[in-house]
Amino acid sequence: MGDCDMDDTEQDQSPQATGGQAIYFDGLSNRRQTVTVVLSNQLVLRSADNFVSWPYPDIRRVDAPSGTLRVSCLSASPLARLEIRDSAFAAELVARCDRIDENRLTHGAVARIIGWSLAAAASIIVMVLFVVPFAADRLTPLVPPAMERHLGEAAVVQLQAVFGNKTCDGAGGQAAFAKLVEALRVPAGLDASVGAQVLDTPIPNAFALPGGRFFLLSGLLAKANDPDEIAGVLAHELGHLKHRDNLRQVIHNGGSSFLIGLLFGDITGAGAAIFASRTIVTASYSREAEHDADSFAIEVMHKLGRPTAPMGELMFRVTGKEGDKQLSILASHPLTEDRLERMRAEDQPPSGPPLLTAEEWRALKGICK
Amino acid sequence: MNQMNFIPQPPPPLPAVPVTFDGERGEFFRLIGRGALLELVTLGFYRFWLATDIRRHLWVNTAVDGDAAEYTGRGKELLIGFLFAMAILVPIYLAYFIVSVEAERFKGFASVPLVIGFYAFGQFAIYRARRYRLTRTVWRGVRFWMDGSGWAYAGRAMLWALLLVLTLGLAFPWREAALERYKMQHSHYGNLQGDFEASPWELFKQIWWLWLAIPVCLVLFPLLPFIYGYFKAVEWRWWLSGLRFGGVRLQSRLRPGALYGLYWKVIGWFVLLWAVTFAYFGGVVVVAAKFGGVSMAGPKAAQALANNIPLLIMLVLGYIAVILAINVVMRMYLLRDVWARVLASVELHGIEAVANISAKGDLASALGEGFADGLDVAGF
Ligand SMILES: [Zn+2]
Repeated sequence: MGDCDMDDTEQDQSPQATGGQAIYFDGLSNRRQTVTVVLSNQLVLRSADNFVSWPYPDIRRVDAPSGTLRVSCLSASPLARLEIRDSAFAAELVARCDRIDENRLTHGAVARIIGWSLAAAASIIVMVLFVVPFAADRLTPLVPPAMERHLGEAAVVQLQAVFGNKTCDGAGGQAAFAKLVEALRVPAGLDASVGAQVLDTPIPNAFALPGGRFFLLSGLLAKANDPDEIAGVLAHELGHLKHRDNLRQVIHNGGSSFLIGLLFGDITGAGAAIFASRTIVTASYSREAEHDADSFAIEVMHKLGRPTAPMGELMFRVTGKEGDKQLSILASHPLTEDRLERMRAEDQPPSGPPLLTAEEWRALKGICK
Repeated sequence: MNQMNFIPQPPPPLPAVPVTFDGERGEFFRLIGRGALLELVTLGFYRFWLATDIRRHLWVNTAVDGDAAEYTGRGKELLIGFLFAMAILVPIYLAYFIVSVEAERFKGFASVPLVIGFYAFGQFAIYRARRYRLTRTVWRGVRFWMDGSGWAYAGRAMLWALLLVLTLGLAFPWREAALERYKMQHSHYGNLQGDFEASPWELFKQIWWLWLAIPVCLVLFPLLPFIYGYFKAVEWRWWLSGLRFGGVRLQSRLRPGALYGLYWKVIGWFVLLWAVTFAYFGGVVVVAAKFGGVSMAGPKAAQALANNIPLLIMLVLGYIAVILAINVVMRMYLLRDVWARVLASVELHGIEAVANISAKGDLASALGEGFADGLDVAGF
């Protein structure tokens, strides 16, 4: 049976042995037995048909309602329980069992939980700040371009839902646009699979999709004053394609969002903290990618012998001064004024031929008409 | 006269036995207050131990026929279950991502089957989490336990979910009854098998009108707590009254309005907490403007806010305080008080059937709880 020693021989009636009534469940059936407990050199309990002894070092306290002492015994059936409701007698038993509270969550144990949790949280933060960006950089080249194109195709489907399918293809404009893209593509070191289109929408912007496609929105074209402005912006988008930034951000943001989601668990109201951390982390990564794309654009423009300041001017014309309006920590791009300053610092007087003739530039501006 | 007594009479049935809950509110308040604090300090990792402590408190103060129950689960088990679940879920999430990108290309609803897969996983988690909790429940030295298959349950839950959609929600009582029957018929107390006998029609008769009332309440939204409180109370009563273990019958006399007060108290606390929080945030900003020289007008306000470190610290401390308070309020009213009120309505008939039950059944792992945590599903 699961009970402890069942020997009858050991029944020394030492003078300090005390006794009392208790309720006993043997852990084998749910029969409630009223037993007489004697505290001699072991805990001995006796009922009409049962005789069990529990060694004191094996006795552990388990959960009990207030006013009741409930104990189990390591060497007995795991669910055997003894319940003592007389507090004086309970105190006497506790005094004899020096390991009775060993299973309890002590302050030391709570401190250990806190310590390990903080270590786990710290390792998650290190992962988010260093390991995930590193992994994104290393994993991106391993993803086959075919799969990246699939990502891009999924994005095009969404894009058409937002902008409609209003691609511009005025004949002269298209030729000028192709010439401009080709002129940039060669020094950028990208192959001919790069596809570019102008979309007819008043929003002044340009963006690249995974898998080598990028779009210029006609709103930006309308605000541009000369080909170098547009060329710089397109070179920036080529930088995103060259660095496969979309894919890198998908990997980075997926990984870091998942890791941050491991924190806080079910704390009601912690959603705001999770959202804020995710936003800050992804924005910081995006700013870095934008900075690198700017570097790439500057490099390409230098190779072509064209000035870099115009693209900064164009961006500044579109956004205005940003520092007053938003928190830089949440911004997905470096502040436009900082970008402009950088492009001015890198600016060189033109040493190469213009990228488009005046006539081609006029045709490009009118591509959507 | 004596001759009559010779025929053995069946013993008269014992009177109904109440279920009592004697947990002190003050003790529970200290437990969840400390727990919420530790949960924040550990960035959430204390949740496994807090959940365990809450269950231990609720179980041990719940007594049936004078004997208190005991919860033998431990926080470490939940943590290990969570880690195992993560080890399984992370590759699945990755595969899910890759497959959904591939599937989106073919447009339409190509990735819908994947969502259905996650739903199945969630149902599996609900079943296994119930099994974990049940096997950690001990009464009179004998544990409850559960067999059956989490995946078989998930399959049934999915078919019923399909029916639920096809009937615009009207199949809800039948779904609940069928799923609960599966859970209960695989639940045991020692060698006593469970069952669920509540009639779905009975539930339907009490809640069918909610189906019409909910659109109205979305407009008259102050009615929503009443509707929800009514629904939960009716559901609790129906569920409890259907539970069986061998010859033991549970019966609940929970009034349909029994939970209104609790929901309104939670709403009242939320309003109060948000009012205090906004007053505090406003006060901090005003003080910073006055003494810190931070101008709150003009275009530089946002930047100035972000650069004022003491101000940010005060705001974050306020945010932490309100999170602590919200978590304490929710657990106090929606967990402890609901538990106490619902239990006070329960009585057991046929307690003589549990006079001599033999122990049986094994412990289940906490994997299901880990999945439930990782997938954000809750089930009872
Ligand atoms: Zn960019």
